[in-house]
Amino acid sequence: MQLIIQNLSKTYSNGVQALKDVSLTINQGMFGLLGPNGAGKSSLMRTIATLQEADSGSIQLGDINVLTQKEEVRKTLGYLPQEFGVYPKVDAVTLLDHLAVLKGIVDKKERKAVVEALLHKTNLWAAREKNLGGYSGGMKQRFGIAQALLANPSLIIVDEPTAGLDPAERNRFLNLLSELGEKTIVILSTHIVEDVKELCTDMAIINKGQVLYKGSPLDAIAEVQGKVWSKRIAKTELEEYRKNYNLISERLIAGRPEITVLSDVQPDSSFERTQADLEDVYFSHVFGSAEKVVA
Amino acid sequence: MLKEIFSFELSYRKKRAANYIYFAIIFLIAFGVVASPIVSVSGASGQIKANSPFAIANITNALVFSFMMITSAIMGVAIVRDFDHNMEALLFSTPMKKIHYLLGRFGGSFLVLLLIFSAIWIGLMTGFAVGKYVPWEVDWKEKEILPFNAWSYFQPFLFYGVSNLFIMGSLFFMAGALGRKTIVIYTQGIILLVLYSIAASFLADVEWKETAALLDPFGSQTFDYVTRYWTPAEKNTMLVPLEGIMLYNRLIWMGFGVLALVATYYGFSFNVVRNSLIKRKPSAVKDKATKTDVIIPPARQVINWSTYVKQLMRMSIFNFKIVVKEIPFLAILFTGMLLLVVNAFNMNQLYGTSSYPTTYSILGLLDGFTLFFIIIAIFYSGELVWKERAVNFNLIIDAMPLPSFVSLLSKFLGLVFIYLIMLLVLILCGVVIQASYGYFKFELPIYFSTLYTSTLTLLVLYTLLAIFIQVLVNNKFLGFALCILFFIVRGVMGELGLEHNLWRFASGSLGTFSDMNVYGHYVPPFSWFKVYWFAMAMFLFAVAVIFSVRGSEAVMKMRWKTGKLRLNRSFIVFTFSALAVFLFSGFYIYYNTSIVNKFVKSDDQEDQQEEYEQKLKKYDFVPQPRIVDTKIKVDIYPYSRDFVAEGYYWLKNKTDQPIKDIHIQHSIDNQLIINYVKFNREAVVKENFENFKYYVYELANPLAAGDSLQMNFKVTFDTRGFEQGGSNTNVVFNGSFFNNTAFFPTLGYNSGFEIGDDDERKKRKLKEKERMMERNDPRGLAQSLFGDDADHIRFEMDISTEGDQIAIAPGYLQKEWKENGRNYFSYKMDAPMCNFYSVVSARYAIKRDKWNDINLEIYYHPGHEYNLEKMMEGMKDALAYYSKNFAPYQYRQVRIMEFPRYSSFAQSFANTIPFSEGIGFIAKIDDPEKDIDYVYYVTAHEVAHQWWGHQVMEAGVKGNAMLSESMSQYSALMVLKQKFTPEILERYLKYELDRYLSGRAFERKKEQPLEFVEGQGYIHYQKASLVFFALQDYIGEDSVNAAFRRYNAAWKFKDAPYPTSADLLKEIKKVTPDSLQAIIHDMFETITLFENKATEASYVEKAKDQFEVTLKVTAEKMRADSTGLESSIAINDWIDIGVYGKNKAGKDSLLYLRKHKITQKENTFTISVKDKPRKAGIDPLHKLIDRHSDDNTKGLVKKDK
Repeated sequence: MQLIIQNLSKTYSNGVQALKDVSLTINQGMFGLLGPNGAGKSSLMRTIATLQEADSGSIQLGDINVLTQKEEVRKTLGYLPQEFGVYPKVDAVTLLDHLAVLKGIVDKKERKAVVEALLHKTNLWAAREKNLGGYSGGMKQRFGIAQALLANPSLIIVDEPTAGLDPAERNRFLNLLSELGEKTIVILSTHIVEDVKELCTDMAIINKGQVLYKGSPLDAIAEVQGKVWSKRIAKTELEEYRKNYNLISERLIAGRPEITVLSDVQPDSSFERTQADLEDVYFSHVFGSAEKVVA
Repeated sequence: MLKEIFSFELSYRKKRAANYIYFAIIFLIAFGVVASPIVSVSGASGQIKANSPFAIANITNALVFSFMMITSAIMGVAIVRDFDHNMEALLFSTPMKKIHYLLGRFGGSFLVLLLIFSAIWIGLMTGFAVGKYVPWEVDWKEKEILPFNAWSYFQPFLFYGVSNLFIMGSLFFMAGALGRKTIVIYTQGIILLVLYSIAASFLADVEWKETAALLDPFGSQTFDYVTRYWTPAEKNTMLVPLEGIMLYNRLIWMGFGVLALVATYYGFSFNVVRNSLIKRKPSAVKDKATKTDVIIPPARQVINWSTYVKQLMRMSIFNFKIVVKEIPFLAILFTGMLLLVVNAFNMNQLYGTSSYPTTYSILGLLDGFTLFFIIIAIFYSGELVWKERAVNFNLIIDAMPLPSFVSLLSKFLGLVFIYLIMLLVLILCGVVIQASYGYFKFELPIYFSTLYTSTLTLLVLYTLLAIFIQVLVNNKFLGFALCILFFIVRGVMGELGLEHNLWRFASGSLGTFSDMNVYGHYVPPFSWFKVYWFAMAMFLFAVAVIFSVRGSEAVMKMRWKTGKLRLNRSFIVFTFSALAVFLFSGFYIYYNTSIVNKFVKSDDQEDQQEEYEQKLKKYDFVPQPRIVDTKIKVDIYPYSRDFVAEGYYWLKNKTDQPIKDIHIQHSIDNQLIINYVKFNREAVVKENFENFKYYVYELANPLAAGDSLQMNFKVTFDTRGFEQGGSNTNVVFNGSFFNNTAFFPTLGYNSGFEIGDDDERKKRKLKEKERMMERNDPRGLAQSLFGDDADHIRFEMDISTEGDQIAIAPGYLQKEWKENGRNYFSYKMDAPMCNFYSVVSARYAIKRDKWNDINLEIYYHPGHEYNLEKMMEGMKDALAYYSKNFAPYQYRQVRIMEFPRYSSFAQSFANTIPFSEGIGFIAKIDDPEKDIDYVYYVTAHEVAHQWWGHQVMEAGVKGNAMLSESMSQYSALMVLKQKFTPEILERYLKYELDRYLSGRAFERKKEQPLEFVEGQGYIHYQKASLVFFALQDYIGEDSVNAAFRRYNAAWKFKDAPYPTSADLLKEIKKVTPDSLQAIIHDMFETITLFENKATEASYVEKAKDQFEVTLKVTAEKMRADSTGLESSIAINDWIDIGVYGKNKAGKDSLLYLRKHKITQKENTFTISVKDKPRKAGIDPLHKLIDRHSDDNTKGLVKKDK
């Protein structure tokens, strides 16, 4: 099964253009959607999740027209929104069981088994009878993941799922996702490059509603390999470097800025070539001069 | 710092559009109340001017009260908004002092509140300034109003408006600051409302009025209490002064407000995280082991209709649980139940005596819960529609594979479950209340069939409507505001000309429940109206489903785009079926109410009345023959609500001129069909006013003076289909009761059809209407109180009815037979009687007894046996007293017949007394020492009418009711006096005094002295009780009886001319000693009031068993004119001075009671008594009419020798 997005555009009533002519083809496996806050990731994901309309363009999931056959999509969908709350006075088992019914798991036994398995999977088993109002941010997030996995979805859309998780939980969750990714389409949006690097076979970088890059993370890294140069400079010099070079990133290391520059040749001898990373790809597309729209 | 916070608050509020909108709303409403026809000025009518200080104060109070929502919005959010906007952490970490923060916020908000509410007086002033000139209709446009007086607007606003705003404002401020949640503010608002209702329900009884006036946090009961006896003249001139009970009430509640602020200061803490008030034990975490390596088992996903049903039930129960767990919901529920319990204490009272808690009276009580139900319906419809979005869970739910209608329907069903359970709780409450009264006749079917039909449909309809509104406007608070606006619009729709119930959402009523007639004929229209509205609500619901927001799109266009995708076949079929049912039932209702039956708007009704007067007034007093003989056969078909009446009148020309034209006025009831009118001589219809069912027949040969003719007629009362609204309650399944004036032909013009209300007449440029003819008007003297159709008549009636019913008319039963399964009765009166007779038919049980040779019979509804003995006793004692003191009883029989509680009265016809099931049959007289036995009393009163009204018919002129009603009041009082203790009598008179004084406060036209009373119940009943009781106290019972006896002897059984109040007064004056002649003038010929007060009272113990009481009293005497304007007059009266001690039982007993001549305001008395005195005073038994009767006595202070 394939998810094909073609020429998708969306402008909000306040004039903000959230999606500009987005076209993507997503195969089974993990697909990473990388982009800064406000890039249009969530808009795109909500549209795929049947929760938002597009002005033009189409989305096709196998035989299903996502924009009109919403019911069909929902049957196969597991969706974790970026931000969500819970009913504070309900406990996790009850709510998950409730949601399982809404997913169409009507057999009581089966439902019980699924709910219990998911609670174990998301490490919520111990706290299953606690009211959700008392959950920490991480626990809540894991609950969200659990519900997205109900009823063996074949399309899983998770919007910023690792936000708020501690490193151990994050690892566990990503493992879980990659397990699922073998049989399903998993779309993972994030602004954390690491997530994509570790998991995804395919990815897209998106900013200001436009797809800036699409391809596999490895290809992406190969594209900039050897073109990334870094240098540690004094704080006072920062302004000047910004003016004169195409900085793709600047970060502080032990209090001193280190800048990276994308360039085919060594800008000057004080720059050192560094091992290219997906992060450099990301920054180069989002901030750098390599701003070319991928058709 | 305080200043900065204060001015920050002001500048913050200045930028909020809401504040300007609030101001505009209040201004518009205040303006509209005054200068639009939609809402008429409350409290102003008749003689009370539109801009009287009383009316302005009333409106001011009402508006402050009604806009409590705004107060809560302004004051509640002053602190809460910091929490709502998550600003608390930022704010509370600044070095600001708590007192500055709180005071600054409170002060700033309160000032804004005052500015917003100033819209009241600005709106009112503007309204009165321009009301005369606006192009549309304004109630008082044609009328004179008082000159502008700014203080009338400011005084109530400053004294009562500002204080109320402060009280409510502080409470809301506290709730917001301490509760930190908006919901707490609302809950508190509802609790305040309940407090107010409790005060209001207490106020219903005279003995609790003062407590209620103190208790009311809004002071509006206090306002009512202070002004309850204000006459129109006073209402036009006086402002409620801030003194006495008003001052105390304000001080108490302002103190409460201050206390709330102090509590806020101490309770409020800058901590962002609070310790929860209830410490929960951390729930034990069991089964620690988490198995992360589990494999998620496969689960079958089944998506079909049966899954939808399961999902629907699941979600409905889920929503149900959400609401049940809400604190405000529980708060509303419990306060509502509290109100029920309080109301249960003084249920159905008459003269402070309660009734048996029959199921229908409990249902009436439970009706008080409807308001809470509606609040819950509207509030929680909004909450549930928004619930997922409020907790931010919407995107997850919206992506679930379930149809959109399931989600919305589950919210509706969740609420329906709530209602079902709450209704069950209410029934339980009802049963508990009944049991607590020792009443164990639980009629559960009636509970269920009322609450689960009428109440439930109302809730269902409003819930669907509220869901529709919430979904469509897609803004919770705008949704609430629109729901409230909807109620307002629904309330004033009648005024806008949309009177038919087809316009009024959720209309259709089960009517009055009666034990006799159950729901009667109300069921079909009720059902059809509910089908109609339910179909409409379903249609609205379908629209809501289409437009309900799913996902993140909120723009209407986008919602329509997604909504279109939901239009599958079954959904479209459903939507159009709902629409079809709506239209079909609408047409069917219209067909029944407006085509088969006639629906007349009130304006059209008045137009018709006006036209009647203009066209036919010329026939008023056209000489007509009088009925001298009546024989009618009436066949009643109660189960189809029909009857046929056929018979004749003999008409005799009692004038000295020949009569050529006979004027016949038929009943204008739509259901009445005139089959024929025929005379036993040649006659043609000369004039035909079909609209008014008024026909003038011209006789070929005029009816000579003294000659008679027979008029034969047949009319059919035919009930077809159903009517909207109340419908006729005279001819019903069980308990038909009507009299001849309602349906049988009458003679000549009927001035009773004219528009009676002077305000309405003025609007239509008609002359003011006198309520009755002058006492010396010869036309009036020539007719009795029963009208000019007849003097005395010979009477015969045959009635038939269903086989299980008994039918009764005046006269004696001649024979009784069965034919074709129907019962036939033949009645005949053996002596001439008045032209006023009733027909009654119901499934009766009979109780019989005898007094001397007179048969006593009570026809009652089986199950209503409670007070039959008291009625029997009442009849016997009354017959005995009246026969002995006035004249012998003219009939050989007295019958009482119960009729359904559609009306609450008893009425005396010749030897028959129809008596409402609502007033006597279920009265509960527990303690003869305490409860006023009004069953006994009403019985005695109605029996007295056999003398006063039937033996002596008086002239139909001013003062007539003094001769029938007042004389019967006196007669019954004397029977009561023989039977009960003076304390009971005193208690009864206290109620009468209260009802007289409040009655005159609402006089629309003019208050008359008793001798000229013109249909004013508060005079001919209440004032008459007081006056006649005092009269017999002054001149002696025997003397009054002697006067009555002579009056009776002089006028008994006479035809015209009839006696007037002057004839009775003549007899009374004859038996009154010269020294007391002045009281006749005070009591009957003028409106005289006293202001008696004990100012100082003390005693000295002279010796053992010898006490000397010193009592200082003031006594004033006033005369009032017809508007209630009083002027002092010199006092020169004999007034009781009394001293009380305590008897062995610990009760007050009179040690001394004697009349003293009082000729000046200040008086001092020294009285010796033998027992230890407790209190003393002037007119302690309240024989005189005194507006402050509670200050007449004073506790005694012991002084040393």
